Amino acid sequence: MGEQKSDVLQGTLDLMVLKTLETMGPLHGYGIARRIEQVSGNALTLSQGTIYPALLRLEQRGWIRSEWGTSEMNRRAKFYSLTRIGRKKIEDETENWERVSATMARILAPGS
Amino acid sequence: MDWMRTLLGRIRSVFRSRRLDADLDEELKAHIEFAIAENLEQGMSAEEARTSALRGFGGVTQIREAYRVQRGMPWLQMAARNIRIAIRQLRSSPGFAITAILTLALGIGATSAVFSIVDGVLLRPLRFANPSRLVTLGDQVSGGHMGENGDPGWVTAPEVVSYQGITRSFESLGGYTNVSYELSGIGQPFQIAAARMTPSVFSVLGVAPLMGRVFTPEEDTKKAQVAVLSYATWKTRFNANPQVIGTKIDLNQSPYIVVGVMPRNFEFPIDAGCELWVPMSFSAGELAPEAETNWDFLMVGRLKPSSTMAQAQDDAQRVAAQTMHDYPPDLSTVRIRPVVYPLHEITVMQARPLLQMLFLAVVVVLLIACVNLAGLLLVRAISRQRETAVRLALGASICTLLGQTILESLIISVSGGVLGIGLAAVAIAIGKDYLPANLPLTSQIALNWTVAVFALLLALVTGVLCGLAPGFAALRTNVNASLKNGVRRGSASGAHVRLRSALVVAEIAIALILLCASGLLMRSYLNMSHVDLGFQPDRVTTAAYALLQKGYPTQARVDAFNNQLLLRLSQLPGVQSVGLTSSLPTMNDCCMAFTADGFVNPRGPGWTPAAYSQVIGDFFTAMRVPLVRGRYFTDDDNANSQLVVIVNHEFAEHYWPNQNPIGKRMHIGPPKRRAPWMTVVGEVADVKVYVPDAGATAEFYQPAAQLDKDYGGPFSANDIFGSSEHVVVRSALPPEQMENSVRAVVRSIDPQLPLTQVQTMEQVVSQSEAPRRFNTIIVSSFGLAAVLLAVLGIYSVIAFSVASRIEEMAIRMALGSRRADIVRLILSSGLKLAAVGAFLGLAGATAASSVLRPFLFHVSPFDPLVIALTGMAVFALALAASALPAFRAASVDPMQALREQ
Repeated sequence: MGEQKSDVLQGTLDLMVLKTLETMGPLHGYGIARRIEQVSGNALTLSQGTIYPALLRLEQRGWIRSEWGTSEMNRRAKFYSLTRIGRKKIEDETENWERVSATMARILAPGS
Repeated sequence: MDWMRTLLGRIRSVFRSRRLDADLDEELKAHIEFAIAENLEQGMSAEEARTSALRGFGGVTQIREAYRVQRGMPWLQMAARNIRIAIRQLRSSPGFAITAILTLALGIGATSAVFSIVDGVLLRPLRFANPSRLVTLGDQVSGGHMGENGDPGWVTAPEVVSYQGITRSFESLGGYTNVSYELSGIGQPFQIAAARMTPSVFSVLGVAPLMGRVFTPEEDTKKAQVAVLSYATWKTRFNANPQVIGTKIDLNQSPYIVVGVMPRNFEFPIDAGCELWVPMSFSAGELAPEAETNWDFLMVGRLKPSSTMAQAQDDAQRVAAQTMHDYPPDLSTVRIRPVVYPLHEITVMQARPLLQMLFLAVVVVLLIACVNLAGLLLVRAISRQRETAVRLALGASICTLLGQTILESLIISVSGGVLGIGLAAVAIAIGKDYLPANLPLTSQIALNWTVAVFALLLALVTGVLCGLAPGFAALRTNVNASLKNGVRRGSASGAHVRLRSALVVAEIAIALILLCASGLLMRSYLNMSHVDLGFQPDRVTTAAYALLQKGYPTQARVDAFNNQLLLRLSQLPGVQSVGLTSSLPTMNDCCMAFTADGFVNPRGPGWTPAAYSQVIGDFFTAMRVPLVRGRYFTDDDNANSQLVVIVNHEFAEHYWPNQNPIGKRMHIGPPKRRAPWMTVVGEVADVKVYVPDAGATAEFYQPAAQLDKDYGGPFSANDIFGSSEHVVVRSALPPEQMENSVRAVVRSIDPQLPLTQVQTMEQVVSQSEAPRRFNTIIVSSFGLAAVLLAVLGIYSVIAFSVASRIEEMAIRMALGSRRADIVRLILSSGLKLAAVGAFLGLAGATAASSVLRPFLFHVSPFDPLVIALTGMAVFALALAASALPAFRAASVDPMQALREQ
C-alpha cells in the first residue's frame, strides 16, 4: 500500500530536470525537486538532495547554467536555466528515452 | 565535446574548492528553508516542519560527498592526500628515509653515469646528415691485416680516384688522410693536426659550413691553397673573428686562404681532433705508378637509399679487379679485396664489449641496492603490522594498502632518482677527463634528456618493484593473530623471514660475481705490470720536441741541433747515456712495409708491415735494451757508410726462422720499389711497441743519418729527417730531478724551442696501461660497492631477526644456554646465508665468465686463487656482519629482557 517507490536512474533524472526547466523557466534547486515530485503525482520518491549532483553534472556539460538570485521570499538562492545546447539536448534525450522504453515494452510484452 | 567541458570544469574546481564548498552550503541551507516554509504553510508545527524537510532531503553528508566526487578530480585529490601522508610518515623516521634515498641515489646515479657513456658512444647516431647511410671503403691486402678487427681498410691515392667513379651504389665517395702542419701567420707558430680531403667528403657527410664555403672540385684539381677551419680553431686561434673568411695563414711555410668555418660539433675524421681541412690535391708523385703500394688514405661514402653494403662491395670489387689487372708484373701476386663497413659500427666496434661489461657491472650494483631497499621496506612493514591489521579490520581493501606501500616506495625512489641525476652530472663532469684515450666519441658523452629520462624510469621501476616487498607483507597479515598478539611491535612470521633471507642470499650471490670479476681483472692488471717490456724504464727521462721549419730550414741545421743536444746532455752530471728516437716504446703507432731478403710470405705475396723507428745516439744503451746478437749502431753508421739496420728478435724469428739474422738484408717498401738494401748488424730483444699486454711485434731500427739513403728517393731536398724526436736520458739521479736539467739544456741551445711531454719513462709506460687500469678500477669500485651493500644487507637481516627473537634468547639463557652457544647460534645462521649465496654466486660467475674473457690477460676465468679468495672474503664478511648482533644478543640480561616483553 502506499506509493510505489522506485529508484530513479541517473539519466532519467537529468531528462526530468531539463524538461522541468523547459516548462517552468529558471528555477532554484528546491523548486525543481518539488515540481518533479508533483508532476509524478508523488509516485516517485527521490531524496530531494540527489538533485544537486545531477544539477552539477548538467552544468558541467554546459546544458544548464546557474546564477545567484533572490527568491520570492527575498532569500538568496541559486537559479538554474537551460542553455541553447541544453534545449537541443532535450529532443535528443527524449528520442533516446522513447526508443529505450519502446524496446523494453516489446521485450516485456507477453508472448514475445 | 561534453566530456571536454566536464573535464575543464573539474580541473577548474580543484582550485576553488573552498569557495565552491561555501556556495553549496548556502544553496543547501536555502533548500531546507524553502522546504520548512512550505511545510509551515501546510500547517505543520515548526518542529515537524524541520524534521519533515530534512527527511525529504535525504542524507546531507552523503549528498555533499556525492557532489564533491562529481565536482573535482577525486582520484587526484586522493593521491595527493596519500602522498602527503606518506611524506609525513617518512619524515617521522628520518634515519630510514635518508638511508633509503641515499642508497638508491648512489645506485641510480652510478647507473645513469655509465648509461650516459653507453648512450654517447654506442647509441647516439653520428652528427652527420642521415648517418646510417655512411660507410667506409677500404682494401684488405693479401698477406696483411688491413681491413680486419676494427680497421676500416686503407686505399692508395690512385684508388681514391678510381673508387670515386662508382656511381651505382654510392651517392658520393670521398678520400682523406691525416696530416700535421706547422700553422703560422697568426701569432706563435703551432703544430696542428689537420686532414687533406677530397671535396666530395663534405657532400658525403652532408654538413653545411657555418660561415663561408667548403672547397670545390676545381680547387682540388688546380691545387688551390684554401683551408676550412674547425669551429674550435676559429674560436680559440682566431678569436671568433667574424671577418675570418679571406684571412691568410701559412701551413708549413706555404700560404693558404681561409674560405670557410665548419659548425660546432663537426668532427672528421672521428676523434682525430682536426683543426682545419685542406683539399686533397694529389701531387704527381702520389698518383705515380710507384705509389700503387702506398696504402695511406681512407675513404668514406654515402650509400644510395636503395643500395646495400653487399652491392657496394661488389661494385668496388669490380674496380679493384681492374686495378689488379693493370698492375705491373712485379705486383701481379698482390691481391686486394675491398671491404665496406658502416661508419658508426667500425668506430665503436672495439669499445663495445668494454661498455657492455661496465653496464652489466653497474646494473648489478643497482640490483643489490634495490634488494637492500626492499629489505628495509619489508622490515618497516613488519613493524607496522599491527596498524595494517587494524586498517584491514576497518575495511581497507588490499589494493589500497598495496597502493600506499608502493606510493611510499615511489617517493623514496623518485627522490633518490633526482638526487642520482645530480650525482651522475657531477661524476660525468669530473670523470670525463679520466676516460681511457682509446674510447671513441667521448665528445658525445653528456647528461642529456635521454639520460635523465632513463634515470627517472629506473627510479619508477625500482620504486614499484621494491614496494612490492612490503606489499607482500601486508597481504600476508593475519588480522586476527596480529590484533590478538600481545607483542607491541610486529614480529616476523615465517614467510617474512624466508623472503628477507632470500633477498640477502641473492645479494650475496650477485656481490660475489662482481667481486670475482674484480679479482680476475686485478690479477690481469698485475700480470700486465710484470710483463717483460724488453727495456728498463727506471731512471729514464723522456721529452719530445719538434723543430719547425722557420728556425731549422735545412738538414744541416737539424743535425747540428741534435748533435749539440746529445753532447750537452751527456755532459750533465750523473747522466749515463743519451739517445734520440722517432717513437718511444709503448707509444708507437706506425707501421712500414718492407721486404726481407729470402723470406716467402706463406699467406701469399703481399704487404709485410713491421713497426719501425729511427734512432740517433745511444738509444739502446739508454733504454737498456738487451743485445741478442751482433752490435748496436755506432757513430760510424752515417750517410756515407754501408746502410745498416737492427731488427728485434720477433722480426728475426719470423722472417729468418732458425737462422742467424746478422748479415741478412732487407729494404723498405715492397719488392718492386727497389729501395737500397740494408744489412742487419744487430738483433735486440723484443721491446713492447704498443701496450704491455699485447704480444710481440716485429720491429726494425734505422740510424736516422741513413734515412735519406734508405728511402732511395723520390724525396725532394725539402724533406728533412730527424726534426721531430723523443729524447731518452738515463742517469744515476732520480728522473724527476733530470727533467729540469734536460729543460735547461734545451733552453741553452734554443731558448724558443718548446719541450713537450717531459716525463719519466715509467710514466710513459703507465699511460699505455691506462685503458686496462681504467677497466680494473671501475669494475673493482663497483665490486667493492656491491660487497659493502651486501654486508649491510646481511647485518640488517641478522640484527632484525635477533631483535625479534630477544624473548627466545632470554628464555634459552634462563634455561641454561651459555653466551657462547647463543653467539654460535646466530653466527651459524649468518654463515648459512653466506654459504647458499656463495654457491649461487659461483654458479653465476661461471655463467658470466664468457663476458669477462676478452678482458683477461694471462688469467683463466676460473682461476682457483681468485675464486678461493673471493669465497673466503664473503665468508669472513658474513661472519663480521653477524658478529655484532650476535654479541649484542649474548650480552642481554635474560631477566631484564623477559620483564620487558
